[in-house]
Amino acid sequence: MTTLAWRRTADEEPGLVRSAALALLIHIIFFGFLVFGLNWRNDPNESMVVDLWRDTPPQPVRSQPVIKEPIKELPKPIPVQEPVKPKPEPIQPTSEPVRIKNPPPRKPTIEIKEKTEPPKPIQEEKKVKPVPEKTPKPEPVKEKVAKPESVKEIEKKVAPEKELPEKEQKAVEQDVLAQLAAQKSKALDEIAKYKAMIQAKIRSRIVTPPDLPGNPMVEFRVTLLPGGDVLKVSLRKSSGYAAFDEAVERAIFLAKPLPIPPDPALFKEFRDFNLTVYYQDAL
Amino acid sequence: MSATVTQDMSLLHLVTSASLPVQLVMMMLLIASLLSWWFIFRKLFAIREAIKQSDEFENTFWRGVDLNTLYQRAAGARDRAGSMERIFEAGFREFTKHQSGMDIGAIMDSTRGAMRAAYQREMDRLEAHLSFLATVGSVSPYVGLFGTVWGIMNSFRELSNLTQATIAHVAPGIAEALIATAMGLFAAIPAVIAYNRYASDTSQLATRYESFMEELSNVLQRRAVKL
Repeated sequence: MTTLAWRRTADEEPGLVRSAALALLIHIIFFGFLVFGLNWRNDPNESMVVDLWRDTPPQPVRSQPVIKEPIKELPKPIPVQEPVKPKPEPIQPTSEPVRIKNPPPRKPTIEIKEKTEPPKPIQEEKKVKPVPEKTPKPEPVKEKVAKPESVKEIEKKVAPEKELPEKEQKAVEQDVLAQLAAQKSKALDEIAKYKAMIQAKIRSRIVTPPDLPGNPMVEFRVTLLPGGDVLKVSLRKSSGYAAFDEAVERAIFLAKPLPIPPDPALFKEFRDFNLTVYYQDAL
Repeated sequence: MSATVTQDMSLLHLVTSASLPVQLVMMMLLIASLLSWWFIFRKLFAIREAIKQSDEFENTFWRGVDLNTLYQRAAGARDRAGSMERIFEAGFREFTKHQSGMDIGAIMDSTRGAMRAAYQREMDRLEAHLSFLATVGSVSPYVGLFGTVWGIMNSFRELSNLTQATIAHVAPGIAEALIATAMGLFAAIPAVIAYNRYASDTSQLATRYESFMEELSNVLQRRAVKL
């Protein structure tokens, strides 16, 4: 009798469900705190970024004069970019009122480019400056690599631009098409220029292992973050020499932030790219 | 070869990327921790309830209420009765079974025996699951340590395949292995604290019950002499 009563009351212990709920609650709170409350990500790479910022102050002095020469190429994209967005709209409807609005802003810009080149550098310098700050030493190398390509393209661009005023009276649409083409070539020009800058910057950071036979080649796939930080580097094709592979991989991380065009529209070209380095080039 | 330098060191990533033995250890420790917290709260409520009921019953008992009415009340509401009330009920029932003309010594012996039996059952109920807390408190650090040692062993074995080893190759493995130790400690510390606390609480209750039994047997003996 008493044993039965005791058995029954033992089963009816108070707060079984309540204590289970409280136990669960404590674990959920604790793990929630661990997952969301603490910063588990350790970024030892950020310290490298800090080191690079210290290097930057002297560099603008070196790079500014250098940039003035290619200014002829660089300045154009910036003023032209602003009208770029409205352009797609006029082409589709090809309506007269839209055309009338667009030409006026373009004409002045074209005229200013041809007639008054000196004032531009001042405007452009302001806009271009942020680029040299981010891109330290390798810049001299960029010019060598970038110029030959860009100079040719500039000539191509300048030619249609000069023709434009003559054609304007006949057909405004041709003008639009020509400008679009010019922008494309400028964008390609920019991309090529920055690719060369990235190559040059990484190459300058490679500490090559000595005495490798032949000219081995290593290929990496590099994933960038906006701003030029390196997100991921994966080996696509090994050179066969682990020391050289690792030297190049280290150089990629050492070179960050990589130079990237200030125009965010061009960044998608740099999100993922393949980087090929030859041993003889890196020496 | 393609060493991703920026490792994802979030807790979930570390746990999911751990090796199977380490994950099993973590699972064991999580279950142990959940169960021990469940018992901690159960015992907390049970012991608190037992102390409250003992206080109430002692108050009514020493206020001089008639023992028969007390017994009726205790027998009527057995579900809600506290431990002390049940000890009293068992003793008094045994006492009333013997009527006048019997040897007082024999009556008191059997009464004490009945109270002693009820007391043992109540203590057994109060101390239930405390041994589980003690086990979790003493064993789970070792289980966690086993997981950590296993994880570190593995991460060093993987290190032997590399010619050039950096700390970045070992760090994630060690971090995920150390989580096992952390979980073991997380399970053990509350269990040990709760075990010590509840052990002292139950021993206090035990002395209270024992002294009550002595006092009650004295009261009943006087009553038997009067009859």
